[in-house]
Amino acid sequence: MRTTVIVTALGPDSHGLLAQVATTIAEHDANVDDVSQTVANGMFTMIMFVSFEETETTMSSLKAALEATGARIGLQISVQHENIFKFMHRI
Amino acid sequence: MVFITEQEILETVAMIRSENLDVRAVTMGISLADCSERDPHRTAERIHAKIVQRAGRLVRVAGEIEEKYGIPIVNKRVSLTPIAQVVGGDDPAAYVEVAHALDAAAEEIGIDFVGGFSAMVQKGFTRGDAALIEAIPEAISSTQRVCSSVNVASTRAGINMDAVVRMADVIKALSKLTAANDCIGCAKLVVFCNVPEDNPFMAGALHGSGEPEVSVNVAISGPGVVRNVVEHHPEASLIELADLIKRTTFKITRVGELVAREASQMLHAQMGIIDLSLAPTPAVGDSIAEILESMGLEQVGAPGTTAALAMLNDAVKKGGTMATSSTGGLSGAFIPVSEDAAMAKAAADGVLSIEKLEAMTAVCSLGLDMIVVPGDIPNNSLAGMIADVMAIGMINSKTTGARIIPAYGKKVGDWVTLGGLFGEAPVMAVSQAGNDAFLRRGGRIPAPLQSLTN
Repeated sequence: MRTTVIVTALGPDSHGLLAQVATTIAEHDANVDDVSQTVANGMFTMIMFVSFEETETTMSSLKAALEATGARIGLQISVQHENIFKFMHRI
Repeated sequence: MVFITEQEILETVAMIRSENLDVRAVTMGISLADCSERDPHRTAERIHAKIVQRAGRLVRVAGEIEEKYGIPIVNKRVSLTPIAQVVGGDDPAAYVEVAHALDAAAEEIGIDFVGGFSAMVQKGFTRGDAALIEAIPEAISSTQRVCSSVNVASTRAGINMDAVVRMADVIKALSKLTAANDCIGCAKLVVFCNVPEDNPFMAGALHGSGEPEVSVNVAISGPGVVRNVVEHHPEASLIELADLIKRTTFKITRVGELVAREASQMLHAQMGIIDLSLAPTPAVGDSIAEILESMGLEQVGAPGTTAALAMLNDAVKKGGTMATSSTGGLSGAFIPVSEDAAMAKAAADGVLSIEKLEAMTAVCSLGLDMIVVPGDIPNNSLAGMIADVMAIGMINSKTTGARIIPAYGKKVGDWVTLGGLFGEAPVMAVSQAGNDAFLRRGGRIPAPLQSLTN
Protein backbone atom coordinates (compact mmCIF):
# COMPACT_ATOMS: atom_id res chain seq x y z
CA MET A 1 0.00 0.00 0.00
CA ARG A 2 1.28 3.46 -0.87
CA THR A 3 1.46 5.91 1.99
CA THR A 4 1.75 9.68 1.66
CA VAL A 5 3.33 11.70 4.42
CA ILE A 6 3.99 15.38 4.72
CA VAL A 7 7.49 16.43 5.69
CA THR A 8 7.93 19.93 7.09
CA ALA A 9 11.30 21.47 7.80
CA LEU A 10 11.93 24.75 9.60
CA GLY A 11 15.16 26.43 10.60
CA PRO A 12 17.89 28.93 9.73
CA ASP A 13 18.73 28.99 6.04
CA SER A 14 21.99 27.65 4.65
CA HIS A 15 23.25 26.05 1.42
CA GLY A 16 21.99 22.65 0.34
CA LEU A 17 19.27 22.06 2.90
CA LEU A 18 16.68 20.84 0.41
CA ALA A 19 19.21 18.56 -1.24
CA GLN A 20 20.21 16.90 2.01
CA VAL A 21 16.61 16.26 3.05
CA ALA A 22 15.77 14.93 -0.43
CA THR A 23 18.82 12.65 -0.35
CA THR A 24 17.69 11.08 2.94
CA ILE A 25 14.24 10.50 1.43
CA ALA A 26 15.72 8.88 -1.69
CA GLU A 27 17.94 6.64 0.44
CA HIS A 28 14.75 5.26 2.00
CA ASP A 29 13.12 4.41 -1.34
CA ALA A 30 10.56 7.16 -0.90
CA ASN A 31 9.54 9.67 -3.56
CA VAL A 32 9.12 13.43 -3.34
CA ASP A 33 5.74 14.05 -5.04
CA ASP A 34 5.64 17.78 -4.45
CA VAL A 35 7.79 20.37 -2.73
CA SER A 36 7.61 24.03 -1.86
CA GLN A 37 10.11 26.13 0.00
CA THR A 38 10.49 29.73 1.07
CA VAL A 39 13.16 31.74 2.82
CA ALA A 40 12.03 34.78 4.78
CA ASN A 41 14.25 36.80 7.11
CA GLY A 42 16.85 34.04 6.98
CA MET A 43 14.35 31.33 8.04
CA PHE A 44 13.99 28.33 5.77
CA THR A 45 10.55 26.71 5.50
CA MET A 46 9.96 23.65 3.37
CA ILE A 47 6.94 21.40 2.81
CA MET A 48 7.28 18.10 0.97
CA PHE A 49 4.65 15.56 -0.02
CA VAL A 50 6.47 12.24 0.14
CA SER A 51 5.11 8.81 -0.75
CA PHE A 52 6.46 5.30 -0.37
CA GLU A 53 5.41 1.68 -0.58
CA GLU A 54 5.01 0.17 2.86
CA THR A 55 6.81 -2.92 1.59
CA GLU A 56 9.91 -0.84 0.81
CA THR A 57 10.19 1.45 3.80
CA THR A 58 8.39 2.26 7.03
CA MET A 59 7.22 5.54 8.40
CA SER A 60 9.24 5.04 11.58
CA SER A 61 12.52 4.42 9.75
CA LEU A 62 11.95 7.39 7.42
CA LYS A 63 11.03 9.57 10.35
CA ALA A 64 14.09 8.57 12.38
CA ALA A 65 16.40 9.18 9.41
CA LEU A 66 14.89 12.59 8.64
CA GLU A 67 15.06 13.67 12.28
CA ALA A 68 18.71 12.67 12.35
CA THR A 69 19.35 14.64 9.16
CA GLY A 70 17.49 17.60 10.65
CA ALA A 71 19.60 17.50 13.80
CA ARG A 72 22.77 17.46 11.68
CA ILE A 73 21.84 20.41 9.44
CA GLY A 74 19.96 22.52 12.01
CA LEU A 75 16.37 21.96 10.90
CA GLN A 76 13.30 20.94 12.87
CA ILE A 77 11.78 18.21 10.72
CA SER A 78 8.32 16.71 11.20
CA VAL A 79 6.95 13.70 9.37
CA GLN A 80 3.20 13.19 9.60
CA HIS A 81 0.66 11.13 7.72
CA GLU A 82 -1.30 13.33 5.31
CA ASN A 83 -4.64 12.43 6.91
CA ILE A 84 -4.10 14.67 9.95
CA PHE A 85 -3.89 17.71 7.65
CA LYS A 86 -6.88 16.62 5.56
CA PHE A 87 -8.95 15.90 8.64
CA MET A 88 -8.11 18.87 10.81
CA HIS A 89 -9.29 21.73 8.67
CA ARG A 90 -12.42 20.39 6.94
CA ILE A 91 -15.30 17.97 7.37
CA MET B 1 -9.16 14.61 -3.30
CA VAL B 2 -8.83 17.01 -0.37
CA PHE B 3 -6.67 20.01 -1.14
CA ILE B 4 -4.36 21.08 1.69
CA THR B 5 -2.86 24.56 1.72
CA GLU B 6 0.64 25.38 2.90
CA GLN B 7 -0.81 27.64 5.54
CA GLU B 8 -2.92 24.80 6.95
CA ILE B 9 0.07 22.49 7.06
CA LEU B 10 2.25 25.01 8.88
CA GLU B 11 -0.59 25.89 11.26
CA THR B 12 -1.02 22.22 12.22
CA VAL B 13 2.70 21.76 12.77
CA ALA B 14 2.91 24.93 14.89
CA MET B 15 -0.05 23.85 17.04
CA ILE B 16 1.70 20.61 17.93
CA ARG B 17 5.28 21.87 18.16
CA SER B 18 4.81 25.24 19.86
CA GLU B 19 1.37 25.34 21.44
CA ASN B 20 1.16 22.01 23.30
CA LEU B 21 -1.66 20.60 21.16
CA ASP B 22 -2.16 17.03 22.22
CA VAL B 23 -4.79 14.39 22.70
CA ARG B 24 -5.16 14.35 26.46
CA ALA B 25 -6.43 10.81 26.77
CA VAL B 26 -7.53 7.76 24.89
CA THR B 27 -9.74 5.88 27.31
CA MET B 28 -11.07 2.41 26.64
CA GLY B 29 -14.39 1.75 28.32
CA ILE B 30 -14.94 -1.91 29.23
CA SER B 31 -18.13 -3.49 30.49
CA LEU B 32 -17.65 -5.80 33.46
CA ALA B 33 -21.22 -7.07 33.37
CA ASP B 34 -20.01 -10.62 32.74
CA CYS B 35 -17.41 -10.64 35.52
CA SER B 36 -19.64 -11.07 38.57
CA GLU B 37 -19.10 -14.23 40.59
CA ARG B 38 -20.45 -15.31 43.95
CA ASP B 39 -16.86 -15.47 45.25
CA PRO B 40 -15.34 -11.92 45.26
CA HIS B 41 -11.84 -13.36 44.83
CA ARG B 42 -12.97 -15.01 41.61
CA THR B 43 -14.64 -11.76 40.51
CA ALA B 44 -11.33 -9.92 40.98
CA GLU B 45 -9.57 -12.53 38.86
CA ARG B 46 -12.13 -12.25 36.07
CA ILE B 47 -11.97 -8.45 36.06
CA HIS B 48 -8.18 -8.55 35.88
CA ALA B 49 -8.29 -11.02 33.00
CA LYS B 50 -10.84 -9.01 31.05
CA ILE B 51 -8.92 -5.74 31.36
CA VAL B 52 -5.71 -7.39 30.20
CA GLN B 53 -7.48 -9.16 27.34
CA ARG B 54 -9.44 -6.17 26.02
CA ALA B 55 -6.99 -3.33 26.70
CA GLY B 56 -3.70 -5.20 26.39
CA ARG B 57 -2.89 -3.45 23.09
CA LEU B 58 -4.13 0.01 24.09
CA VAL B 59 -0.73 1.54 24.83
CA ARG B 60 0.87 0.08 21.71
CA VAL B 61 -1.96 1.27 19.46
CA ALA B 62 -1.82 4.76 20.96
CA GLY B 63 1.94 4.80 20.30
CA GLU B 64 1.39 3.83 16.66
CA ILE B 65 -1.16 6.63 16.20
CA GLU B 66 1.20 9.11 17.86
CA GLU B 67 3.93 8.19 15.44
CA LYS B 68 1.70 8.19 12.37
CA TYR B 69 0.21 11.62 12.94
CA GLY B 70 2.91 13.24 15.07
CA ILE B 71 0.36 14.13 17.73
CA PRO B 72 1.16 13.29 21.36
CA ILE B 73 -1.37 11.14 23.21
CA VAL B 74 -0.66 12.02 26.82
CA ASN B 75 -2.64 9.41 28.75
CA LYS B 76 -3.85 5.91 28.05
CA ARG B 77 -6.62 4.84 30.40
CA VAL B 78 -9.34 2.32 31.05
CA SER B 79 -12.79 3.02 32.46
CA LEU B 80 -14.99 0.29 33.91
CA THR B 81 -18.53 -0.54 34.92
CA PRO B 82 -18.98 0.93 38.42
CA ILE B 83 -17.41 -1.69 40.64
CA ALA B 84 -20.23 -1.49 43.20
CA GLN B 85 -22.51 -2.94 40.49
CA VAL B 86 -20.12 -5.81 39.76
CA VAL B 87 -18.93 -7.00 43.16
CA GLY B 88 -21.74 -8.24 45.33
CA GLY B 89 -21.84 -8.36 49.10
CA ASP B 90 -21.21 -5.96 51.91
CA ASP B 91 -17.63 -6.79 52.86
CA PRO B 92 -15.36 -3.77 52.22
CA ALA B 93 -12.34 -6.08 52.12
CA ALA B 94 -13.70 -7.67 48.93
CA TYR B 95 -13.74 -4.25 47.24
CA VAL B 96 -10.19 -3.55 48.36
CA GLU B 97 -9.12 -6.84 46.82
CA VAL B 98 -10.78 -5.84 43.54
CA ALA B 99 -9.01 -2.46 43.64
CA HIS B 100 -5.70 -4.31 43.90
CA ALA B 101 -6.68 -6.45 40.91
CA LEU B 102 -7.45 -3.27 38.91
CA ASP B 103 -4.09 -1.79 39.90
CA ALA B 104 -2.22 -4.94 38.90
CA ALA B 105 -4.00 -5.07 35.52
CA ALA B 106 -3.27 -1.37 34.89
CA GLU B 107 0.40 -1.88 35.66
CA GLU B 108 0.59 -5.01 33.52
CA ILE B 109 -0.75 -3.28 30.40
CA GLY B 110 1.13 -0.04 31.06
CA ILE B 111 -1.79 2.39 31.27
CA ASP B 112 -1.76 5.53 33.40
CA PHE B 113 -5.02 5.12 35.30
CA VAL B 114 -8.02 2.86 35.61
CA GLY B 115 -11.34 4.44 36.59
CA GLY B 116 -14.58 2.96 37.79
CA PHE B 117 -14.01 2.16 41.45
CA SER B 118 -17.37 3.84 41.68
CA ALA B 119 -20.89 3.82 43.02
CA MET B 120 -24.13 5.60 42.06
CA VAL B 121 -25.96 6.59 45.23
CA GLN B 122 -27.97 9.66 44.28
CA LYS B 123 -31.16 8.06 45.59
CA GLY B 124 -29.77 5.73 48.20
CA PHE B 125 -27.23 3.03 49.00
CA THR B 126 -27.28 -0.62 48.12
CA ARG B 127 -25.27 -2.84 50.48
CA GLY B 128 -22.59 -2.98 47.79
CA ASP B 129 -22.50 0.81 47.41
CA ALA B 130 -22.04 1.27 51.14
CA ALA B 131 -19.26 -1.31 51.26
CA LEU B 132 -17.44 0.21 48.30
CA ILE B 133 -17.60 3.68 49.82
CA GLU B 134 -16.26 2.33 53.10
CA ALA B 135 -13.43 0.65 51.18
CA ILE B 136 -12.37 3.77 49.26
CA PRO B 137 -9.74 5.11 51.72
CA GLU B 138 -7.87 1.83 51.92
CA ALA B 139 -8.41 0.92 48.26
CA ILE B 140 -7.12 4.22 46.88
CA SER B 141 -4.32 4.72 49.39
CA SER B 142 -2.94 1.23 48.76
CA THR B 143 -2.99 1.41 44.95
CA GLN B 144 -1.19 3.59 42.41
CA ARG B 145 -3.43 3.82 39.35
CA VAL B 146 -6.97 3.25 40.58
CA CYS B 147 -9.39 6.18 40.47
CA SER B 148 -12.70 6.42 42.26
CA SER B 149 -15.90 8.39 41.88
CA VAL B 150 -19.22 8.46 43.66
CA ASN B 151 -22.33 10.04 42.16
CA VAL B 152 -24.31 11.52 45.05
CA ALA B 153 -26.75 13.74 43.16
CA SER B 154 -28.67 14.16 39.93
CA THR B 155 -31.24 16.51 38.48
CA ARG B 156 -33.77 13.66 38.46
CA ALA B 157 -33.11 12.39 41.99
CA GLY B 158 -31.90 15.40 43.95
CA ILE B 159 -28.97 15.36 46.37
CA ASN B 160 -28.42 12.44 48.72
CA MET B 161 -27.16 14.47 51.67
CA ASP B 162 -26.34 11.34 53.69
CA ALA B 163 -23.97 10.36 50.90
CA VAL B 164 -22.49 13.87 50.81
CA VAL B 165 -21.73 13.68 54.53
CA ARG B 166 -20.29 10.20 54.17
CA MET B 167 -18.06 11.30 51.26
CA ALA B 168 -16.66 14.14 53.35
CA ASP B 169 -15.61 11.55 55.94
CA VAL B 170 -14.09 9.37 53.20
CA ILE B 171 -12.11 12.29 51.76
CA LYS B 172 -10.75 13.21 55.21
CA ALA B 173 -9.76 9.59 55.88
CA LEU B 174 -8.06 9.33 52.48
CA SER B 175 -6.20 12.57 53.16
CA LYS B 176 -4.82 11.18 56.40
CA LEU B 177 -3.85 7.84 54.87
CA THR B 178 -1.90 9.53 52.06
CA ALA B 179 -0.52 12.41 54.15
CA ALA B 180 3.06 11.30 53.50
CA ASN B 181 2.49 11.95 49.78
CA ASP B 182 0.81 15.35 50.10
CA CYS B 183 -2.62 13.66 50.29
CA ILE B 184 -2.38 12.46 46.68
CA GLY B 185 -5.21 9.97 47.28
CA CYS B 186 -7.77 12.77 47.29
CA ALA B 187 -6.73 13.71 43.73
CA LYS B 188 -8.00 10.31 42.62
CA LEU B 189 -11.51 10.65 44.05
CA VAL B 190 -14.38 12.71 42.61
CA VAL B 191 -17.83 13.31 44.04
CA PHE B 192 -20.29 13.87 41.20
CA CYS B 193 -23.68 15.27 40.35
CA ASN B 194 -25.06 13.97 37.01
CA VAL B 195 -21.99 11.83 36.33
CA PRO B 196 -21.54 11.17 32.59
CA GLU B 197 -21.40 7.51 31.60
CA ASP B 198 -18.79 8.01 28.89
CA ASN B 199 -16.29 10.43 30.41
CA PRO B 200 -12.69 9.74 29.35
CA PHE B 201 -11.12 12.06 31.95
CA MET B 202 -9.81 10.89 35.30
CA ALA B 203 -10.45 10.68 38.11
CA GLY B 204 -14.13 10.39 37.20
CA ALA B 205 -14.11 8.03 34.23
CA LEU B 206 -16.53 5.13 34.34
CA HIS B 207 -18.28 2.90 31.79
CA GLY B 208 -22.00 3.39 32.32
CA SER B 209 -24.85 0.96 32.00
CA GLY B 210 -25.93 2.31 28.59
CA GLU B 211 -22.52 1.82 27.05
CA PRO B 212 -21.46 -0.94 24.63
CA GLU B 213 -19.26 -3.90 25.54
CA VAL B 214 -16.07 -2.00 24.70
CA SER B 215 -15.71 1.58 23.49
CA VAL B 216 -12.97 4.09 22.84
CA ASN B 217 -13.48 7.61 24.14
CA VAL B 218 -11.08 10.42 23.37
CA ALA B 219 -10.39 13.55 25.39
CA ILE B 220 -9.07 16.47 23.41
CA SER B 221 -7.13 19.34 24.88
CA GLY B 222 -5.33 22.38 23.59
CA PRO B 223 -5.57 25.39 25.92
CA GLY B 224 -2.25 26.58 24.51
CA VAL B 225 -3.65 26.70 20.98
CA VAL B 226 -6.70 28.70 22.06
CA ARG B 227 -4.58 31.04 24.17
CA ASN B 228 -2.30 31.71 21.22
CA VAL B 229 -5.26 32.69 19.03
CA VAL B 230 -6.71 34.97 21.72
CA GLU B 231 -3.33 36.56 22.38
CA HIS B 232 -2.79 37.34 18.70
CA HIS B 233 -6.09 39.24 18.45
CA PRO B 234 -5.96 41.86 21.21
CA GLU B 235 -8.31 44.17 19.32
CA ALA B 236 -10.96 41.58 18.43
CA SER B 237 -14.44 42.24 19.80
CA LEU B 238 -15.97 39.48 21.90
CA ILE B 239 -18.13 38.36 18.97
CA GLU B 240 -15.02 38.12 16.78
CA LEU B 241 -13.14 36.38 19.57
CA ALA B 242 -15.91 33.80 19.98
CA ASP B 243 -15.67 33.03 16.26
CA LEU B 244 -11.88 32.65 16.46
CA ILE B 245 -12.19 30.28 19.41
CA LYS B 246 -14.86 28.26 17.60
CA ARG B 247 -12.66 27.90 14.52
CA THR B 248 -9.74 26.80 16.67
CA THR B 249 -11.65 24.23 18.70
CA PHE B 250 -13.12 22.88 15.48
CA LYS B 251 -9.58 22.01 14.39
CA ILE B 252 -8.60 20.57 17.75
CA THR B 253 -11.72 18.42 17.83
CA ARG B 254 -11.12 17.11 14.32
CA VAL B 255 -7.82 15.70 15.54
CA GLY B 256 -9.70 14.00 18.38
CA GLU B 257 -12.20 12.57 15.90
CA LEU B 258 -9.41 11.22 13.71
CA VAL B 259 -7.68 9.58 16.68
CA ALA B 260 -10.96 8.13 17.98
CA ARG B 261 -11.85 6.61 14.61
CA GLU B 262 -8.43 5.12 14.11
CA ALA B 263 -7.99 3.85 17.68
CA SER B 264 -11.43 2.24 17.82
CA GLN B 265 -10.84 0.48 14.51
CA MET B 266 -7.40 -0.77 15.54
CA LEU B 267 -8.69 -1.95 18.93
CA HIS B 268 -11.85 -3.60 17.52
CA ALA B 269 -13.99 -1.43 19.77
CA GLN B 270 -16.96 0.82 19.15
CA MET B 271 -16.05 4.47 18.72
CA GLY B 272 -17.46 6.23 21.75
CA ILE B 273 -17.33 9.97 22.23
CA ILE B 274 -15.06 12.96 21.83
CA ASP B 275 -14.90 14.99 25.02
CA LEU B 276 -14.68 18.66 23.99
CA SER B 277 -12.85 19.84 27.06
CA LEU B 278 -10.06 22.33 27.43
CA ALA B 279 -7.96 20.61 30.06
CA PRO B 280 -4.95 22.46 31.40
CA THR B 281 -1.64 21.02 32.55
CA PRO B 282 0.84 22.64 34.93
CA ALA B 283 3.07 23.51 31.94
CA VAL B 284 3.38 27.22 31.23
CA GLY B 285 1.17 28.11 28.26
CA ASP B 286 -1.17 25.15 28.73
CA SER B 287 -3.55 27.01 30.99
CA ILE B 288 -7.22 28.00 31.06
CA ALA B 289 -6.37 30.91 33.37
CA GLU B 290 -3.92 32.23 30.79
CA ILE B 291 -6.64 32.18 28.11
CA LEU B 292 -8.88 34.27 30.37
CA GLU B 293 -5.98 36.61 31.10
CA SER B 294 -5.26 36.90 27.36
CA MET B 295 -8.90 37.93 26.93
CA GLY B 296 -8.09 40.97 29.06
CA LEU B 297 -8.37 40.05 32.72
CA GLU B 298 -5.39 41.16 34.80
CA GLN B 299 -5.53 37.85 36.64
CA VAL B 300 -8.03 35.02 36.82
CA GLY B 301 -10.46 35.74 39.64
CA ALA B 302 -10.86 39.40 38.71
CA PRO B 303 -14.43 40.67 38.30
CA GLY B 304 -15.53 39.51 34.84
CA THR B 305 -13.89 36.10 35.15
CA THR B 306 -17.17 34.21 35.18
CA ALA B 307 -18.40 36.08 32.09
CA ALA B 308 -15.16 35.46 30.20
CA LEU B 309 -15.22 31.78 31.13
CA ALA B 310 -18.87 31.43 30.07
CA MET B 311 -18.03 32.81 26.64
CA LEU B 312 -14.95 30.61 26.30
CA ASN B 313 -16.79 27.48 27.38
CA ASP B 314 -19.68 28.09 24.99
CA ALA B 315 -17.42 28.85 22.04
CA VAL B 316 -15.40 25.67 22.67
CA LYS B 317 -18.57 23.59 22.57
CA LYS B 318 -19.93 25.31 19.46
CA GLY B 319 -16.69 24.80 17.52
CA GLY B 320 -16.37 21.24 18.73
CA THR B 321 -19.88 20.14 17.90
CA MET B 322 -19.36 21.22 14.29
CA ALA B 323 -16.33 18.94 14.12
CA THR B 324 -17.82 15.74 15.50
CA SER B 325 -21.21 14.14 15.82
CA SER B 326 -20.01 12.10 18.80
CA THR B 327 -19.83 14.68 21.53
CA GLY B 328 -19.96 13.43 25.10
CA GLY B 329 -18.22 13.15 28.42
CA LEU B 330 -17.71 16.33 30.36
CA SER B 331 -17.25 18.69 27.39
CA GLY B 332 -16.37 22.05 28.88
CA ALA B 333 -13.42 24.08 30.08
CA PHE B 334 -11.84 22.67 33.26
CA ILE B 335 -10.77 24.82 36.17
CA PRO B 336 -8.60 22.54 38.32
CA VAL B 337 -6.53 24.83 40.50
CA SER B 338 -3.45 22.67 41.09
CA GLU B 339 -3.31 21.50 37.47
CA ASP B 340 -3.24 25.06 36.10
CA ALA B 341 -0.15 26.99 37.18
CA ALA B 342 -1.69 30.42 36.56
CA MET B 343 -4.81 29.48 38.50
CA ALA B 344 -2.71 28.25 41.44
CA LYS B 345 -0.78 31.53 41.39
CA ALA B 346 -4.01 33.55 41.42
CA ALA B 347 -5.17 31.52 44.41
CA ALA B 348 -1.86 32.16 46.18
CA ASP B 349 -2.09 35.88 45.39
CA GLY B 350 -5.54 36.01 46.99
CA VAL B 351 -7.21 36.99 43.72
CA LEU B 352 -9.02 33.68 43.20
CA SER B 353 -11.17 32.46 46.07
CA ILE B 354 -13.18 29.29 46.57
CA GLU B 355 -16.36 31.36 46.28
CA LYS B 356 -15.26 32.69 42.89
CA LEU B 357 -14.42 29.18 41.74
CA GLU B 358 -17.90 28.13 42.78
CA ALA B 359 -19.39 30.86 40.59
CA MET B 360 -17.16 29.78 37.70
CA THR B 361 -18.44 26.23 38.16
CA ALA B 362 -21.91 27.42 37.22
CA VAL B 363 -20.77 28.21 33.67
CA CYS B 364 -18.28 25.45 32.86
CA SER B 365 -17.18 22.02 33.92
CA LEU B 366 -16.17 20.55 36.25
CA GLY B 367 -16.64 22.13 39.67
CA LEU B 368 -14.45 22.63 42.70
CA ASP B 369 -11.62 20.66 41.18
CA MET B 370 -8.17 20.03 42.64
CA ILE B 371 -8.68 22.58 45.36
CA VAL B 372 -6.51 22.30 48.44
CA VAL B 373 -8.05 23.22 51.80
CA PRO B 374 -6.66 23.09 55.35
CA GLY B 375 -6.18 19.59 56.70
CA ASP B 376 -8.16 20.39 59.82
CA ILE B 377 -11.25 21.52 57.90
CA PRO B 378 -14.32 20.26 59.83
CA ASN B 379 -15.95 17.31 58.05
CA ASN B 380 -19.21 19.22 57.86
CA SER B 381 -17.55 22.21 56.20
CA LEU B 382 -16.17 19.84 53.58
CA ALA B 383 -19.61 18.26 53.18
CA GLY B 384 -21.14 21.72 52.79
CA MET B 385 -18.67 22.58 50.01
CA ILE B 386 -19.54 19.35 48.21
CA ALA B 387 -23.28 19.99 48.64
CA ASP B 388 -22.93 23.48 47.15
CA VAL B 389 -21.22 22.11 44.04
CA MET B 390 -23.82 19.35 43.72
CA ALA B 391 -26.62 21.94 43.95
CA ILE B 392 -25.20 23.89 40.99
CA GLY B 393 -25.19 20.72 38.91
CA MET B 394 -28.61 19.59 40.04
CA ILE B 395 -30.39 22.88 39.39
CA ASN B 396 -28.66 23.59 36.08
CA SER B 397 -28.96 20.04 34.70
CA LYS B 398 -25.23 19.73 34.22
CA THR B 399 -22.36 17.66 35.49
CA THR B 400 -20.50 19.07 38.44
CA GLY B 401 -17.83 17.44 40.55
CA ALA B 402 -15.90 18.06 43.71
CA ARG B 403 -12.29 16.95 43.96
CA ILE B 404 -11.13 18.60 47.16
CA ILE B 405 -7.85 17.88 48.91
CA PRO B 406 -7.68 18.51 52.66
CA ALA B 407 -3.92 18.93 53.14
CA TYR B 408 -3.22 16.94 56.28
CA GLY B 409 -1.15 18.97 58.75
CA LYS B 410 -1.09 22.08 56.55
CA LYS B 411 -2.67 25.50 56.91
CA VAL B 412 -3.80 28.33 54.64
CA GLY B 413 -0.93 29.59 52.48
CA ASP B 414 1.15 26.39 52.63
CA TRP B 415 1.78 24.70 49.29
CA VAL B 416 1.02 21.13 48.36
CA THR B 417 2.96 19.43 45.56
CA LEU B 418 1.06 16.57 44.00
CA GLY B 419 3.46 16.01 41.11
CA GLY B 420 3.10 15.33 37.41
CA LEU B 421 -0.12 16.47 35.77
CA PHE B 422 -1.69 16.97 39.20
CA GLY B 423 0.58 20.01 39.72
CA GLU B 424 0.81 22.04 42.90
CA ALA B 425 -1.44 24.50 44.72
CA PRO B 426 -1.67 26.64 47.82
CA VAL B 427 -3.97 25.76 50.68
CA MET B 428 -7.04 27.99 50.26
CA ALA B 429 -9.18 29.53 52.99
CA VAL B 430 -12.65 28.15 53.70
CA SER B 431 -15.39 30.00 55.58
CA GLN B 432 -15.28 29.20 59.29
CA ALA B 433 -19.05 29.55 59.73
CA GLY B 434 -20.75 26.37 60.90
CA ASN B 435 -23.44 24.30 59.18
CA ASP B 436 -23.82 21.37 61.61
CA ALA B 437 -27.55 21.80 62.20
CA PHE B 438 -28.24 21.89 58.46
CA LEU B 439 -26.29 18.71 57.76
CA ARG B 440 -27.69 16.92 60.84
CA ARG B 441 -31.13 16.98 59.21
CA GLY B 442 -29.94 14.26 56.80
CA GLY B 443 -32.05 12.77 54.04
CA ARG B 444 -32.26 14.04 50.50
CA ILE B 445 -32.69 17.42 48.86
CA PRO B 446 -35.58 16.74 46.47
CA ALA B 447 -35.19 16.86 42.72
CA PRO B 448 -35.74 20.36 41.37
CA LEU B 449 -38.54 21.73 39.27
CA GLN B 450 -37.63 21.62 35.59
CA SER B 451 -39.75 24.56 34.49
CA LEU B 452 -39.91 28.15 35.79
CA THR B 453 -36.13 28.11 35.40
CA ASN B 454 -35.34 31.73 36.23
